[in-house]
Amino acid sequence: MTLSGYEALFFWIFALAAIFAGLLTVMARNAVHSALFLISSLVSVAALFVLARAEFIAGVQILVYVGGVMVLFLFVIMLVNVGAEERGHEEIFNHPRQVAASLIFCLLFVAGVLYAVNKGYRGLQQLHPTTPDTAAQHDAARESSYATSATGTSRRTDDSESFGSVLYRYASLPFEIASVLLLVAIIGSVMLARTLRQEASADDVDPETLKTEIVNDPELARLEPQSE
Amino acid sequence: MLNFFNPALLLLLQDQSSRFSLMKQSALNPDLSKFLVIGALLFIIGVAGVLTRRNIIVIFMSIELILNAANLNFIAFSRYLQSTGSANALAGQIFTVFVIVVAAAEAAIGLGIVIALYRNKETIWVDEIDLLKW
Repeated sequence: MTLSGYEALFFWIFALAAIFAGLLTVMARNAVHSALFLISSLVSVAALFVLARAEFIAGVQILVYVGGVMVLFLFVIMLVNVGAEERGHEEIFNHPRQVAASLIFCLLFVAGVLYAVNKGYRGLQQLHPTTPDTAAQHDAARESSYATSATGTSRRTDDSESFGSVLYRYASLPFEIASVLLLVAIIGSVMLARTLRQEASADDVDPETLKTEIVNDPELARLEPQSE
Repeated sequence: MLNFFNPALLLLLQDQSSRFSLMKQSALNPDLSKFLVIGALLFIIGVAGVLTRRNIIVIFMSIELILNAANLNFIAFSRYLQSTGSANALAGQIFTVFVIVVAAAEAAIGLGIVIALYRNKETIWVDEIDLLKW
């Protein structure tokens, strides 16, 4: 697998965009800015997925992450108060000694990973020796096997089709387990995010706790008989 | 002239320039290792965010960055196996979909916990949430 020509140019553009946006996500003072930089990082990584011929995953990434998860993040940022860090008199990082220790750890880790990637990739190249030319020939042969579109100007990739058939052939049980996991996540987040008043109206509070809380909020006493 | 006076220096220069052209060649043709390096850098940025930030929502975003770096590695290896003609080359893409599913579930649960925490403690700074610390 090697990219060449315009693919290589776009690879570097999107790779650098992903890394810079990731850095800005971690360093931005305002959490909303962090979320927006994270969105641009995720979109750049989706572009890298397209360059790696995983078009379906790129679409899923944009729909689920950018369309779903990040909107959830933005809603939660607006629900909780982040005014203190916007005004600038609140420290956004941990204590300096913790930050120094974690940065040293990260530098050691990145050096180790880069060494391991280079060494391991050299071994992999010996295992499957492919020159850029043979890889390009292989890709061109694969591309020419795709059906042409109705206008005949482009070719239709079969990535989604083959992905779907492999997913349901080899991973249908994990697929069902994932749907149960999502159901549990929905129920769990609804349960976690209820207010005390909602819990009291569903008669889901310990009576002793309710008695002490009624002192703070007399409204709760009127809610309780309604449910019974 | 240089060749006559100092062949070792010439060798060094030649080696340097050929190494430079090799680097240029590999930059013009990004392969699996470049994808892995980008994935490693994104992962490290996410780890640094988790370890250094105080805002729990930004910590969650850094976790998303980490999971995304893992996805990039899965996709890159899937593509590599496709070009070697492996029979089970799409396994990486399937893993990626499950990682995205688990990340979405984790974000929903985690943000529910953040809301409950904010109701009870009135703070989202992780160093002020220290009930379990003795």
